Amino acid sequence: MRRRNPAAGLASRIGTGAVWLVVAADLLLVLWILLTSLRSGPDILHHAFGLPTSPQTDNYTTALDEGGFARAALNSLLTAGLSSVAAVVLAAPCAYALARRRSRTSSALTMTFAMGLGVPGQVLVVPLFVGLSRVSLTDSDLGLGLVYVGLAMPFTVFLLTGFFSGIPGVLEEAAVLDGAGPVRTFVQVVLPVARGGLVTAFLLQFITAWNETLFALVLTNSQGTITLPVALSSFVAAQQFNGLDFGTMFAGVCIILAPMIALFSWMGSRIIQGMTVGIGK
Amino acid sequence: MATTIDDPLRTGAPRGRSAPASRAGVGPLERQRRRMFWPFTAPALTVYAVLFIAPVGYALWTSLYKWDGMGAMDWRGPQNYILLFRDPRFRTSLVNTLELMVIGGTITFVLSFALTLVLREMRARLFARSVLFFPSLVNGMVFGIAAGFLFSPTGPVNQALKLFGVTTPPKWLSTDNLLPMVLGTLVWTATGYYTSIIMAAVDQIPDYLYEAAELDGAGPFQRFRHITLPCAWDVIAVCAVLWTVSSVKIFELILLYGGSTNAYPPVSSWNTAVYVYTEAFPQGTVPRLGTATAAAMASLVMVTLITVVLRRLLRREPVEY
Amino acid sequence: MGRTTMSARRVVGAATAAALALGASACGGSGDGAKASGGFTYWSMWRADEPQAKVLKAAIDDFTAATGAKVNITWAGRDIAKKIGPAIAANQAPDLWDESDDKVYGTTAAADQALDLSPVLQLQVPGEDFPVSQVLPAKYFDMLPKDPSGSNHYVIPYEIVTNAMFYNAADPAIAAAMPSPPTDWAGLLKVCDALKAAGKACIASEGEDPWSNALYFDYLLNGAGVNVSQLAADKSGATWDAPAVLTAAQQVEQLVKGGHLIEGYDATKYPTQETNWASGKAAFYMDGNYVTAEVAKQVPAGWKMASMLPPTAKTPDANLIGFASPKRAKNAAAAQKFIAFFLQKKHLAGISTTALNLTPRADIPAPAELADVQKALDAPAVRLGFDGVSGSWLPKVLNENYLDLWHGKTTAAQFVAKCKADQVSYWQTQG
Repeated sequence: MRRRNPAAGLASRIGTGAVWLVVAADLLLVLWILLTSLRSGPDILHHAFGLPTSPQTDNYTTALDEGGFARAALNSLLTAGLSSVAAVVLAAPCAYALARRRSRTSSALTMTFAMGLGVPGQVLVVPLFVGLSRVSLTDSDLGLGLVYVGLAMPFTVFLLTGFFSGIPGVLEEAAVLDGAGPVRTFVQVVLPVARGGLVTAFLLQFITAWNETLFALVLTNSQGTITLPVALSSFVAAQQFNGLDFGTMFAGVCIILAPMIALFSWMGSRIIQGMTVGIGK
Repeated sequence: MATTIDDPLRTGAPRGRSAPASRAGVGPLERQRRRMFWPFTAPALTVYAVLFIAPVGYALWTSLYKWDGMGAMDWRGPQNYILLFRDPRFRTSLVNTLELMVIGGTITFVLSFALTLVLREMRARLFARSVLFFPSLVNGMVFGIAAGFLFSPTGPVNQALKLFGVTTPPKWLSTDNLLPMVLGTLVWTATGYYTSIIMAAVDQIPDYLYEAAELDGAGPFQRFRHITLPCAWDVIAVCAVLWTVSSVKIFELILLYGGSTNAYPPVSSWNTAVYVYTEAFPQGTVPRLGTATAAAMASLVMVTLITVVLRRLLRREPVEY
Repeated sequence: MGRTTMSARRVVGAATAAALALGASACGGSGDGAKASGGFTYWSMWRADEPQAKVLKAAIDDFTAATGAKVNITWAGRDIAKKIGPAIAANQAPDLWDESDDKVYGTTAAADQALDLSPVLQLQVPGEDFPVSQVLPAKYFDMLPKDPSGSNHYVIPYEIVTNAMFYNAADPAIAAAMPSPPTDWAGLLKVCDALKAAGKACIASEGEDPWSNALYFDYLLNGAGVNVSQLAADKSGATWDAPAVLTAAQQVEQLVKGGHLIEGYDATKYPTQETNWASGKAAFYMDGNYVTAEVAKQVPAGWKMASMLPPTAKTPDANLIGFASPKRAKNAAAAQKFIAFFLQKKHLAGISTTALNLTPRADIPAPAELADVQKALDAPAVRLGFDGVSGSWLPKVLNENYLDLWHGKTTAAQFVAKCKADQVSYWQTQG
């Protein structure tokens, strides 16, 4: 049915044109950022749009090394990666139990988690900062990771509850009849079937944590602990007093973008689909 | 997801799908499920309680004190909230937050529907959808940085406009235009995101419904109105709630759009998230954690109210197909 | 902007002290330093890749070599000003940190959380024959506001910043329009007119940045004898009714209405206009003297950096970037030894030679680009930018209103009325 309207009206032709225009703009923007990251700082300031005369990767060397982006990338990877794994590991059994058990407690808990979705991060930022500093977990990737796990709970539980609800109970029934305990049933029977959902939950959480800025700004500050968004923001902030090397900055931007581009080209449709399934029903 | 909040499907009935089990009454499976319930939920619940619920309570408590984080806490009672609403900067932030939510939301959803319509009939739709979705994976700060170049008076946007005969383009980056620019960026990134979700939902609508409608002579718009919209309603309702919450959280986009230095952006572009941040982590003064948390609680109340109203408005009988 | 940030007042601060102490003078670890064997923790406002950080790092290495004291350094960057208060609250504050005097005052000293560093003044500068008090001019401390304990030695400067109108003395168009620096406001306007006739914009301005643009207003008020800090402290706002205030606002308005600000200044983001200025599209650029370091890599060959104060201004402003210590510092003595150690000529000179900025020591020559500025700073008295107005008066009362005036959206009279009204409501919400 999709292409069923050969005599597409003018409106639809305009619409299609507009879509391609926006698509082109998106692609050009990414291309521009990429090309600019290969140019020298003063050159960029004088002509923001131009091709790299002699492409130089110096910017990347500077960004990774002196700019601290290498360390920040590692911190980002560890914090986002481990916290996302932890979030899924914690949320999966919980979501499974909530999806399978029908009781008033279960509905109340599901609701409690869902309400967390409506809490904006700014509500938590001061209390978490104060709390973590009491236990000496500020300026620490462990502290930041813990916060990410906590922040991830509502959405991950919500998403996975949706997934588990969609898995028929027949398999478990068979497993139980075979005498499997709840843990074995869950690990050996349910999890393999739900693998797609778990991966989606992980990816979504990873993306969120990778780009998260508010908590990272507040909770980390030394160059050994900051994540990429903080590194970028602090790099930009240093332009006062010493000027900003825009070439290096764009290299930093590319370092933040690259994994997202890679992840998205590789798993893009799964991410989109996973979101829809989790949200939809 | 928020929808889920009292989605019977999710809270009570999901098990409806595992029908055999429920029919079986209290079989071994049901017993096992009862036994596993607390051990399975406890870890997530603990983390959630400690790192999420407790902080919300703590924020509420702090909002009743005057506190710089270093010295003693002075009881203020509701005074912080009164001061807050007397502070013109908070009122601006609140109005901006609502503006981003309502105006941005309206535009985003209208565009998303339009795109869904267009994409449905288009070649290479999956490719186009992917590219449109991508900006939502990009950290908001990147847009702030890029905008300084793209929209400068001699930048490519104005050059392009000149081709179309626009010789006096708007001053994109002037202080007055910051909020509209933030709004535009937001719409641009969010449209791809919501289009993707709505489109995926639309793809699940069986083709025969459309075929039947077409035989009845329905045009694209009528098909959208009578088939797409009702069938995808659930997802749309969730998206609306999602938007409400996420629009209140916007932070880094504004921070670097107006800033680009370590100075805070002009107040005229603040939303409540930025307000909370500047009160709690000011640059040259002592933190005011009481007002910061009071502002945070005020935004929480606002989101909650709007979400509840929205859900009520969007409630429809589910369409079965 | 670049400036902005620090804003307001710029920079300097020094304070903190430092550290490494042992080395320095003789004492090795006084006080509680004993248990830590002279080591201490230091949070820096610089990122490790900045020249100031390199100068500090070299001194710290030297200090450690000389004294055996270990310094635990965090190159925190400018966000340090937002982090220090909460860190003190959590009892995790460093023994030494650095920032501009206004930030040190606003975040810690105003709340009585900054350590009085007067003892540093009595320490010998290692390897030199005099105490710290002799190498640091007292005028820099005299201008600072006192903290609740009555101290104005909560910051020990290692870098001085002043704000001025910078220009390229080698630019023939400027030389033609301005044979000698104007002595009154009308003179400046005449220079601007001449520049306009020659096809060059007079003033480059980052239109979105309230701080650097409001410096014109600050200097005009200074010339008219109005103290901004007193102006801000008036809860009734009546001080705004003084004719001198309106006159200063009108003079600013003349720049705006006269078309002397570079075209498009209100439609760009920093550093677009700084770049335009550095490539010769406008004559003057108001900023802190670190602007020379900011544009060092951009200016064309033959550029001759010069600077002047807006005509009529009586006293140059100054900000200190320096060391400070929180009251709760556990190894304060060790940190203080390092402060004295860093103030040695051989280390401090790096701020001039490597970081291309000014130091508080008169015997360290200024970098060539800053010769004019150094001369202005040699005046017997200096003052803080905006006369050290503290708290959030600038962002909450002045900034937005000033930008409206600067963008030509309000007249001088409207600006004054609006500031007055906002100041009244500002004081009502401070409590």
